[in-house]
Amino acid sequence: MPSTVIYPARRIITMNAHEPFATHVAVRDGRVLGVGSLAELEGWGPYDLDRRFESLVLMPGFVEGHSHAFEGGVWSFPYVGFFDRRSPDGAISQGLTSIDAVVARLREIERSMTTADGPLLAWGFDPIYFGGRRMNRADLDKVSVERPVLVIHSNFHVLNVNSPVLAKAGIDHATNVHGIVKDDAGQPTGELQEIAAKYMAYRASGINLAAALSDEAAVWRFARVAQLSGVTTATDLHNELPDSTVTGYLQASAREDFPIRLLPAFGAIALPVEEGVAKLQALVQRNNERLRFGLVKIITDGSIQGLSARMRWPGYYNGLPNGVWNTGPEEIDRLLQAYHDAGFQVHIHTNGDEASEVALDAIERALTRTPRRDHRHTLQHCQMADAAQFRRMAALGACVNLFANHLFYWGDIHYAQTLGPERANRMDACGTALRTGVPFAIHCDAPVTPIGPLFTAWCAVNRRTASGRTLGEAEKISVADALRAVTLGAAYTLKLDHEIGSIEVGKRADFTVLHDDPLEVAPQALKDVRVWGTVLGGRIFEAPAG
Amino acid sequence: MRRLPFTVIGGFLGAGKTTLLNRLLRGAGGRRFAVLVNDFGAVDIDSRLVIAHGGETISLANGCICCSIGDSLVMALVRVLEKADAIDHVVVEASGVADPARIAELAMIEPMLERDGVVVLADASSVRDRAADRYVGDTVQRQLDGADLLILNKADLVTAAQSADITAWLQGRTAGVRVVPAIHAEVPVEALFGLAPTDGTDTRVHAEAAQPPPIRRWSLTTNGLVNRAALLEALGALPTSVLRAKGILRFADSPHQRSVVHMVGRRIDVRSDGPWGIAALRSDLVLLGTPDMLDDTELDRRFAAALTPGAQ
Repeated sequence: MPSTVIYPARRIITMNAHEPFATHVAVRDGRVLGVGSLAELEGWGPYDLDRRFESLVLMPGFVEGHSHAFEGGVWSFPYVGFFDRRSPDGAISQGLTSIDAVVARLREIERSMTTADGPLLAWGFDPIYFGGRRMNRADLDKVSVERPVLVIHSNFHVLNVNSPVLAKAGIDHATNVHGIVKDDAGQPTGELQEIAAKYMAYRASGINLAAALSDEAAVWRFARVAQLSGVTTATDLHNELPDSTVTGYLQASAREDFPIRLLPAFGAIALPVEEGVAKLQALVQRNNERLRFGLVKIITDGSIQGLSARMRWPGYYNGLPNGVWNTGPEEIDRLLQAYHDAGFQVHIHTNGDEASEVALDAIERALTRTPRRDHRHTLQHCQMADAAQFRRMAALGACVNLFANHLFYWGDIHYAQTLGPERANRMDACGTALRTGVPFAIHCDAPVTPIGPLFTAWCAVNRRTASGRTLGEAEKISVADALRAVTLGAAYTLKLDHEIGSIEVGKRADFTVLHDDPLEVAPQALKDVRVWGTVLGGRIFEAPAG
Repeated sequence: MRRLPFTVIGGFLGAGKTTLLNRLLRGAGGRRFAVLVNDFGAVDIDSRLVIAHGGETISLANGCICCSIGDSLVMALVRVLEKADAIDHVVVEASGVADPARIAELAMIEPMLERDGVVVLADASSVRDRAADRYVGDTVQRQLDGADLLILNKADLVTAAQSADITAWLQGRTAGVRVVPAIHAEVPVEALFGLAPTDGTDTRVHAEAAQPPPIRRWSLTTNGLVNRAALLEALGALPTSVLRAKGILRFADSPHQRSVVHMVGRRIDVRSDGPWGIAALRSDLVLLGTPDMLDDTELDRRFAAALTPGAQ
């Protein structure tokens, strides 16, 4: 007779309409045997009563539908962001609220480094919170004038470096390269953008950077950061899936103490489509309980704050030229059609509304050529879509995963510079998704913003920017709807809603365990709800006190 | 330090980039190209020429290597530069929507590279429609604007009048841009990549040579000093039939330095290459152009002023 454990809880929020709330959940073989009152569950036979959650609140395990395992990679380097951020060991890495504080932190780290000339890399820096003052090479020269020092911005597209890095690359006043920022005197400030930034990061730190960002240890760190925020299922939503990464994922997920279910999405651009389809078909055969291959990712445009999103008329509020395609419309068509025909679900990165339009056109054409029910192709980010585009998503059977965290982190910039008030107010339109019946999730895009579904839900509920402005009352959603978006909603966009996303008989025993009841706290306090830990397939993962 | 010339091949989807690169890998003329491509599957190389096929790199008997960019051009380039000693020239295939001029700028922050040309292919039968397209028009225009040399490919798909019309339109968009017509991307390798280095170590296997249209050459050698301003003026005033120029020069204003002058299409770069050392104190300049390039007498006349150092 398999063992059964019944957990009483202060409240169980099930996301199951038949029994939205309950006091007890029974778990057998890693799955939910039943949810209800103790009397109702006792009928299943002998059980152990485990009271550890008695004063806690259980929810379906949070599902992060758009994150990157890269989050685990970057934690091999020091974090120097403005906001506090929880590291994989559970400790809070304090936010640094001035450039001097960043420099001081880096000096501390520099002094503790054991090699004489190895590079010092840090990440998470965001220049928009320092009242217009930009970091420059003089700041980083205070850290070291010998060792290369590189500070990667939170958007991962911009970099600050010190003088040794510039000297080694031969960058001076005479270097006229797009993306090398210069001061009024024509000297490089040490800020490098886009491809110049990316190149310098790899060049100064060598191939080791790529390895540090994607080894097996990185995926463990990612899983831990996710788990600490209450996540039980997370995506790695763009990966070339080279053999080394696949092996790392298989090894990590084979261990029963691996704390999440991981869903990598194969980057469709990495291989010719025939090879890509074959690769994915083979990978699916290797799926296990904690690792699911099968998602495909297509990246269409860039980012709004990077001014590289493809926008429809009238374009950027500050008048700058339209962004760039990472994959052009015809190529999007071709890739989508191939993976659609092969039966895979495709997640399409679209930030700007022109990119969303092209993606919807591609889905429509693919469906016309190859009708297919329940494809659930999903627009990812989809930050600028208007109501008409949401109606098209509904008509085409598409899903959407909205980048709610953007409202807080970049909402002020979007309001003032990139989108202007009207479009900033309707961005990441959860309210419209709800009204038009488009199945939706909300996400963090870690490591671009920290993983934390309660914070993401808070963003969708309050739509508050870092400066305190509210963007678009009409797009706010209720706490209940936001909690659904980070559980069953996200599970639906990953075609796993039959297995996870709610607490009901037959589903995986994946729970998020909370100290506070998110439906009872004030909506403004949703982000402050404390996470006790998680349960994955019946196995309990208690988070260290944060 | 030896710098590797760095060429970026751009152009929209279907313009003929892959055809050109396949041609290059087959008929490299003894030069060891490292070619970074987007779609490994589209590379069409005679299997008898392949001496090694790793996951991301194919090595050819003629000394060329072909590398897959995958999803990171930057990483692919860093990997290639680890083998810099075995390479003469780095060629990157920009993706169909990328801005090749931006990619070429990597050579300016990488001391191992020297920016050569941005060569953009345009499909004669569709480039004007593409440039007016609602979604990709600005992308195509950016590519054309960044070109040092434009190859008007698939010239057989349009009439001569249309071809002239498109050429005029392209030259009207970007002053001084060189437009080389081509069929099946058949262009002289020298026009794109300059003359091969003449270090006399060319013992490698030569693949079948393609038969591209001929190319004209003119050169100048002098033991005297060269007037920098006059030379640059003469170069800048050359008609579009002159595709490239390369010179190692002894300028009157810096006689103790070797100066390297490099012209690809409309773009002219001059840099100081350090002291002469044991090299002969001599100036050499070579021009390469289409068959209708100015005749030798006219070119001699145009560069005469440069050979008069004047009061510098």
